[in-house]
Amino acid sequence: MTYMMLLCLVGLVAGLISVASNPSPFFAALGLVVAAGMGCGVLAGHGGSFLSLVLFLIYLGGMLVVFAYSAALAAEPYPEGWGNRYVAVLVVAYVVSVGVAFWMFRGEWYEFSWVPVNELSEFSVIWGDTGGVALMYSSGSSMLVISVWVLLLTLFVVLELTRGLSRGALRAV
Amino acid sequence: MNPYVLFFLLFGLGLGTTTTFASSHWLLAWMGLEINTLAILPLMTQDHHPRAVEAATKYFLTQATAAAMILFGSTTNAWLTGQWDIQQAIHPLPATMVMLGLALKIGLAPMHSWLPEVLQGLNLTTGLILSTWQKLAPFALLLQFQTTSTSLLIALGLASTLIGGWGGLNQTQLRKILAYSSIAHLGWMALILPFFPSLTLLTLIMYLIMTLSMFLAFKLNKSTNINTLALSWAKTPALTALAPLMLLSLGGLPPLTGFMPKWLILQELTKQELAPAATMAALTALLSLYFYLRLSYAMTLTTSPNNTAGITPWRLPSTQSTLPLAIAATTSLLLLPLTPAMTALLKL
Amino acid sequence: MLKIIVPTLMLIPTAWLSPAKWLWPTTLAHSLIIALFSLSWLENLSETGWTSLNLYMGTDPLSTPLLVLTCWLLPLMILASQNHTSAEPMNRQRTYITLLTSLQLFLIMAFSATEIILFYIMFEATLIPTLMIITRWGSQAERLNAGSYFLFYTLAGSLPLLVALLILQNNTGTLSLLTLHYSNALTLSSYADKIWWAGCLLAFLVKMPLYGVHLWLPKAHVEAPIAGSMVLAAVLLKLGGYGMMRIMVMLEPLTKELCYPFIILALWGIVMTGSICLRQTDLKSLIAYSSVSHMGLVTGGILIQTPWGFTGALILMIAHGLTSSALFCLANTNYERTHSRTMLLARGLQTIFPLMATWWLIASLANLALPPLPNLMGELVIIISLFNWSWWTIALTGTGTLITAAYSLYMFLMTQRGPAPAHVISLDPTHSREHLLMTLHLLPLTLLILKPELIWGWAF
Repeated sequence: MTYMMLLCLVGLVAGLISVASNPSPFFAALGLVVAAGMGCGVLAGHGGSFLSLVLFLIYLGGMLVVFAYSAALAAEPYPEGWGNRYVAVLVVAYVVSVGVAFWMFRGEWYEFSWVPVNELSEFSVIWGDTGGVALMYSSGSSMLVISVWVLLLTLFVVLELTRGLSRGALRAV
Repeated sequence: MNPYVLFFLLFGLGLGTTTTFASSHWLLAWMGLEINTLAILPLMTQDHHPRAVEAATKYFLTQATAAAMILFGSTTNAWLTGQWDIQQAIHPLPATMVMLGLALKIGLAPMHSWLPEVLQGLNLTTGLILSTWQKLAPFALLLQFQTTSTSLLIALGLASTLIGGWGGLNQTQLRKILAYSSIAHLGWMALILPFFPSLTLLTLIMYLIMTLSMFLAFKLNKSTNINTLALSWAKTPALTALAPLMLLSLGGLPPLTGFMPKWLILQELTKQELAPAATMAALTALLSLYFYLRLSYAMTLTTSPNNTAGITPWRLPSTQSTLPLAIAATTSLLLLPLTPAMTALLKL
Repeated sequence: MLKIIVPTLMLIPTAWLSPAKWLWPTTLAHSLIIALFSLSWLENLSETGWTSLNLYMGTDPLSTPLLVLTCWLLPLMILASQNHTSAEPMNRQRTYITLLTSLQLFLIMAFSATEIILFYIMFEATLIPTLMIITRWGSQAERLNAGSYFLFYTLAGSLPLLVALLILQNNTGTLSLLTLHYSNALTLSSYADKIWWAGCLLAFLVKMPLYGVHLWLPKAHVEAPIAGSMVLAAVLLKLGGYGMMRIMVMLEPLTKELCYPFIILALWGIVMTGSICLRQTDLKSLIAYSSVSHMGLVTGGILIQTPWGFTGALILMIAHGLTSSALFCLANTNYERTHSRTMLLARGLQTIFPLMATWWLIASLANLALPPLPNLMGELVIIISLFNWSWWTIALTGTGTLITAAYSLYMFLMTQRGPAPAHVISLDPTHSREHLLMTLHLLPLTLLILKPELIWGWAF
């Protein structure tokens, strides 16, 4: 399990680097999907299986839209992948800086994030996130209502920003 | 914009700020800030002008960065101290992070450079919302959480008063000038925050009133740069006569309202044995005063020659409501004698 | 105190509600009545020196002459500005009178404040009406420059003063002039205390103005309309001297060590600005520089901190207030006729306006301090006390007096004597309004020497 977690964390960092190294938009969107998936893996490994499932579904839906949108927007004839010189230099730089940061902070109090997964789960009757979900629906119901309202607000905001074809705020450049 | 949608967005603005006001939990406070940012974006782009879109994009990016910093800081705090309360003592590391995030959010120097650019891209109404209402939620957090980093705040405050004065010297656009004036005032608020938070609140209220009156006056004249101010005497003579007073009040000249917060802040700073900082802040206020004075020269104290078409508008009745402006202008001029009442009201 | 302040406030409705035809006569009569009532302050019966006390204000022998001068000057300003504003719309004339009135209000509150912070606020509050008078009603485009100079010189000096006063309040717990003498003496020894000392005095030295920080004054005088020049020379400069005399008490052990450079600057300024006057072509600028020169003497008298020095300073301030205001009015009568301040363009006026030449003579003689005038008394007292302080000062003060006589004579000869050039033959005749104005300036000046204890302050 620890190897799985290590894999997920490395994958998360790799996903982040693949976005941050500034390739063409749809490569970056792929990187985002990888980072999201790996992040959900980390969460699931830490015992938040429900949360990670929900998050993964939402991410998957959202990322697909972003992927399709960016692919449609930026139809470049010669897209810049990670093999491109400029992007590759950035990738190497980020990898090196992550390595340096790891080497510098290794062995300090940050180490305790490497808690073996599920080590503490024997002490509780139910999984942490299951209890949390129940609490969210009972005690936090009014906050849920607000969240729903804000989601609706987000819908309107997105519509307002994209409305108006060539006059809209967001459009093909 | 559809009035229902407009209502929805304005409600969102109110909801975000209220959420932050009411929250004692960092996550909720962060949520309120995000709702706020989200709701104002369509208001910013309602003109569909490239400059407005640019401003909205810049605003979104800085606010998202700031909110992310605040979220990161508060989660780090939860991780290190095990609690999410805003009012509980906060670990110094996340405290600095949150402080810098909030400073970016309100536009304290050296995280200020987005503010003039964004404000210049907006119309005056949205600009008014941006420079008044949008400051409230971050300030609710600044006033609540307990900072230990006094020197950070003093540095931010002094840098802001200096840059707010310095940056505005060279501007001809009113909204940029107001943005720099906002930076300078925020500097004063940050300066006094570690010593006397309720004085920050008083300064914020005074700043809101004075900025409100300035924005409303510019809106009434439909002026966005210094040149168009020269015509205001033909449109609204009484307002033109009062405008230099309002501007000098913004600059903090004594018998006007603007002097009250500066006076009380200087007093508190000298009590804290920070007389050099107080003197420096007071002298940087002169830089701000210079561009306020330039505005009043252009608006009232000179009458540029004009043709007949330019000087007849006063004969036409204005359809704009001037009551809010009248109230705001009166309060932004005459509140200094009520200083004891104000301090009692805010339990200084 | 309210007997003067409330009628002054009511001048504003008078200015706005009078019919247009009666605007100037009613405001003049109203302000003259206020001025007459203010004379009752001169009756000082109390043993502590403070009379007319209320919670925040009071008068004592130091402030009373300045208060009366302030009240006396408003009718004169109204009288002087009647002609040059007559071309403007009615509302602007009313606004102008409102500004002059508010200036008087702020000045009264400044001179009568018993709380230093109230004095400070009112000291600063006078800036706004003065700024508007200079920049809105001045005539050349350079008036904006002059307004900025005026505002920023004064504020750059007085913002440190605010901080210094707040520090003083933290140390003594009070800023009341009534009790400040009795608080424990401060222990002033560190370098920070020396900076604090400079902070306390700098604002007043700029306002005086001390030679070196005087550049705002000629600009402001030259560009201001007549009422602005009058009030600036007669009362606003005196705020500096008054403030210095008030704050001096608190700076006790330090002034003895630190005042030398300032006294040297002040005395050197007398000679320098007098020399500048000698080669001046601009009439108003000449009078302005002569103000700087006289104020240098006042600064010297105050800084050596002897009773005679203070007395002389106060007498000279009052006498100079009336004299310089009269000179500005005279310059303005020329300006309204020739529309130029250049002395070369209006020469030989004695043949055209003989009575006006008499006023010129009296005012010039007052400026150079001829015997039966309080100007002489003030200068003499200051020079004597400075001489007593150090013999060497007589070199500077003596030269200064000589130069003052020279440029006063130069001014008189240049404008009044000699043949009149052809282009000034057809000037408007003088008005009785102008003669009344000069009488109201010079009559009090000559009468004051009959009872100088009215204006010699704390001396007895």
